Amino acid sequence: MGSQKRIAKELSELVESPPEGIIVELADEANLYKWKVFMEGPEGSPYQGGKFLVNLTLPTEYPFKPPTVSFGTKIYHPNVTNDEKGSMCLGMLRADEWKPSSKIAAVLQFARQLLQEPMPDDAIEGRIAEQYKNDRKRYDEIARDWTRKWAVSE
Amino acid sequence: MADQGDRVFCHACGGVWLLDTGEDGHDNSQTCPHCESDFTEIIEIPPESPPPEPTAEPHLPSVNPWADHNPWAQEESTRPQTSGWMESGSPGYSHRSYRSPDGRFTFSSTTIGGGYSSRQDAQPNPMLPFMMQSIDTLFQGLTGTHDIHQTQRGPGMNVHPYPHAAGMREPDVMHDPFQAEGEHARRQEGQFPRDTNGPQDMTAPLQSLADLLDAFQGITGAQRGTARNAAENPFAMLSALMRNNDAVYSQEELDRVISQLIDHTQQGTAPPPASDTAIQSLPKKKMTRQMMGSDGKAECSICMDPVELDTEVTVLPCTHWFHFDCIKAWLSQHNTCPHCRRSIDLPGV
Repeated sequence: MGSQKRIAKELSELVESPPEGIIVELADEANLYKWKVFMEGPEGSPYQGGKFLVNLTLPTEYPFKPPTVSFGTKIYHPNVTNDEKGSMCLGMLRADEWKPSSKIAAVLQFARQLLQEPMPDDAIEGRIAEQYKNDRKRYDEIARDWTRKWAVSE
Repeated sequence: MADQGDRVFCHACGGVWLLDTGEDGHDNSQTCPHCESDFTEIIEIPPESPPPEPTAEPHLPSVNPWADHNPWAQEESTRPQTSGWMESGSPGYSHRSYRSPDGRFTFSSTTIGGGYSSRQDAQPNPMLPFMMQSIDTLFQGLTGTHDIHQTQRGPGMNVHPYPHAAGMREPDVMHDPFQAEGEHARRQEGQFPRDTNGPQDMTAPLQSLADLLDAFQGITGAQRGTARNAAENPFAMLSALMRNNDAVYSQEELDRVISQLIDHTQQGTAPPPASDTAIQSLPKKKMTRQMMGSDGKAECSICMDPVELDTEVTVLPCTHWFHFDCIKAWLSQHNTCPHCRRSIDLPGV
């Protein structure tokens, strides 16, 4: 399968020269389609100091279908569902916006950028988005609190 | 009998109560005792039919362990009358209705047993989980019965080809003030051929299953204490799916079906596939130095394999190029450039 070759190639590139704050590994050595990504909270964001597990799943049709990204670590963020799924809504991952020339590295960098700068107008958690827009101090406080609680391992 | 009186349904709060027939002729009004609304209506309770003769009882295949199980048996023995249950009965027949303490929902049921006791006190409250587990066998039972009658029916036997159809569902008929009429109407359809001279083939089993699910929906909806709201009730969706032969039995399955539906709608806004002739007629050319990057390397951005000089590639009108096999796979899903999204049907730049 062509997709496996491309995935293997992207994986080795990501392992050899990882983007800032992103560490990638396979969730299961025998399965190229499930990745575990550890993402450091960007500096200056309320997620700083936290290490977030991000599960990346590639469809068998990859790169013709987009990967899915979900947070395995609880995170207080307007663009991540506040449930056990932790789905992240990224515009570029929507079926109608995905293009096969996008690389996983770009997806992950985009996801980390979203931690730095949430997109409240494209939010999936409307309440958190409202708070982000209208009461940034409180949002920062809760996000920092959650980061301490869930994303910092001793 | 007290329960033979009319029941009144309140459209404002959804409560149901027994109309005070007023032995001494006093207050006979239909004002709702719960919310004091006047917007009430007397609901008709269908006339009671005598219990069917045991011989007329449909013989259900033994694969269904719940065929003659009375789900109310437990409640009957444990629930005091004061908890909101009203019941009535003659041998082999009972009608009950239940109204929640806050009056937000009501449901009632009519149970016809064959004149024998179907109590199974040893069973724990059998409602939901057992229902779900036994749906499978229930369906087998229903379809099995249908098949038997299908084969038994000779060419001349067209008077009453489905004696089981009416009796079979009776043990668990739900009477819902919202739906009673609709359900009755639906039951009529497909039960008997309208034209006795030219009976049509039946489509009974599926219809029965859908009806059955409707009944479950009523039970579970009431059990969970939710108002009957088809849009929020997963069992409503479940029964809707059932009608399309797409059966789901668990929450996971339901989730799967729903995400499939979401995927489908999302794809609705994506660019349409390109036609095969449009793909085939795309120009091909050999890689030249200009097409390579400044470092003299190039890769197909779909498979990410390096592309050497003089390799044949397919060029889109936007001048982006790919391996033919790679771009063909993409274009047969969407007619845009994987790189810049420009439609391949537009003239070149």
